[in-house]
Amino acid sequence: MELSSSLQKLGAYQPRKNDKSQQLLSRKDALLKTYVAQGDEGWDLIEKLALAALDQGEVQVADECLKLLSDKFPGSPRVEVLTGIRMEVTESSEIALSFYDELLATDSSNAAIWRRKAAVLRRQGKIDQAVQELSSMLDTFYTEVEGWIELADLYNCCHQYAYALQSLSHALLLAPQNPFHFLQFAETAYLALDIPLSLKMYLQVVDMTDDDDEDLAPIDSIPTGITLRAWLGVKLCTHKLLTEPRLVNSSPSQTAPPTTSNLSSLDELSTERLRTAYLNTTGESPPKADKAFIDAMAKIIQ
Amino acid sequence: MSGDTVSLYLDSQIRDWVLFPITLVMILVGVLRHYIVLLLQSAPKKQPKEVIREQRALVRSQILRATASSSPIPPTYYKSISQYLSQAFADGTYLKDGPPQGDAPTTPPNPLTDPAAMDGMMAGMKTQMVMMVPQMVIMGWINFFFQGFVLIKLPFPLTLGFKSMLQRGIETPDMDVRWVSSLSWYFLNFFGLNGLYRLILGNENAADSSRDMSTPFAAAAAPQPGQAQDYNKLFKAERDNLEFSEGLHSWVAKDADTRILQKYGRPIPTS
Repeated sequence: MELSSSLQKLGAYQPRKNDKSQQLLSRKDALLKTYVAQGDEGWDLIEKLALAALDQGEVQVADECLKLLSDKFPGSPRVEVLTGIRMEVTESSEIALSFYDELLATDSSNAAIWRRKAAVLRRQGKIDQAVQELSSMLDTFYTEVEGWIELADLYNCCHQYAYALQSLSHALLLAPQNPFHFLQFAETAYLALDIPLSLKMYLQVVDMTDDDDEDLAPIDSIPTGITLRAWLGVKLCTHKLLTEPRLVNSSPSQTAPPTTSNLSSLDELSTERLRTAYLNTTGESPPKADKAFIDAMAKIIQ
Repeated sequence: MSGDTVSLYLDSQIRDWVLFPITLVMILVGVLRHYIVLLLQSAPKKQPKEVIREQRALVRSQILRATASSSPIPPTYYKSISQYLSQAFADGTYLKDGPPQGDAPTTPPNPLTDPAAMDGMMAGMKTQMVMMVPQMVIMGWINFFFQGFVLIKLPFPLTLGFKSMLQRGIETPDMDVRWVSSLSWYFLNFFGLNGLYRLILGNENAADSSRDMSTPFAAAAAPQPGQAQDYNKLFKAERDNLEFSEGLHSWVAKDADTRILQKYGRPIPTS
């Protein structure tokens, strides 16, 4: 179990220069001296150090770590993936891809390698191949939630919202407890102009996230974070449905729209909620006009 | 019973040269066996992607069905996934050898001709041999050299019922049950050393032999539960389940609007 989760992490790795990796890297001398004493945890740290070094572009440090790891665990799939990530940094994409292909030829059951391949292809701009790799991986390893999210992301960046919704629905099936997947689904449905579906999904997110404070009635609470985002989504949907009535009945997923009276109360409710949040964050009264208000809210959330 | 008055005296050489050696040999053989079994166990073979795909296809539909009654996804999406799976099961898309041919035999393959299954069985047999042979040798050794020896006197009284257990190999009707014969000592060790092995070798040891005596071929059969399964049949059965859950499907966000309005105390018009 632990192996598969750490492989998942490696599969999802993206290089980014942040303070955390800088900090870890600055402790490298101490780490390289003490890792042996820490047993298994020490080896974990070495792996993290290697990734941090790659983040910061310090290939030599990464190589040093990689050598330690591959001496200790020859043939480990985890080290192999790490080697691949190291290759991606300096070698050309073709070499990295052929390295991954080689790995897959000997052991096609390592899902992390498929994801790395898709990531390399994506960076090259070969979205179609990346989609192909990911979907053939997900066909076998259905339970990789992250993979489905990534696939939806790939579809999103070429505006294939219907496909993105399909991949997201798999992610929802696999992790129905995660409100962020619902939010993503709602946002994608909004982009796909399936407003009734989007509205219901936003409301679902609200329902899932608004009662974190046990002792406060939802009506008295101030929406924050994901709940606030969801309320803005609700507001956007109701606004759109009220101003463009033809969207009410044009839902590709045949979602039943709310009744007109429900719709207007929802509009009022979401406006009220958003105003509360606006007042609370900025301390001034929000703009009156619907459009200006939505824009102001969007700025706050960003 | 006059065991207390007419006492038996055991030569202390019996203790030094028979009792201790038997116990020691059995412990050492158990430890040795543990390491031999570790050596013999080959690492589990990595399965090719097609096999994993076949095994996990059922999980897909199970996940789908498990969520059906309060599903996170809207009906159209649920139906499309459900029908896709159902169709794929019907066509045998997920079978590792591809869709079945019309005239191909439908019987599960004979495990004796399948090399993969054969490997598993050989591995089971090998560990079985490591289990059985040393025990047979030790028993032969005790029977040959120490037959009829009385080795030890238990420090507590026992009823006559234990006579056959503790005095195997000595046919004396009158001897006190507390005296233990060599062969019985062997059996006591055989069944009783597991606790000691657990202390020495940890919980997952392979040294205890009494465990697999009862089910001689369990070890051979256990690693291969999925070998003979006919996935085609399982898939066909799963289709009915899928259809059934499709009827059960209800979207969790179906009436989210009224639910939220209620939660926030807004009046819900009845019209």
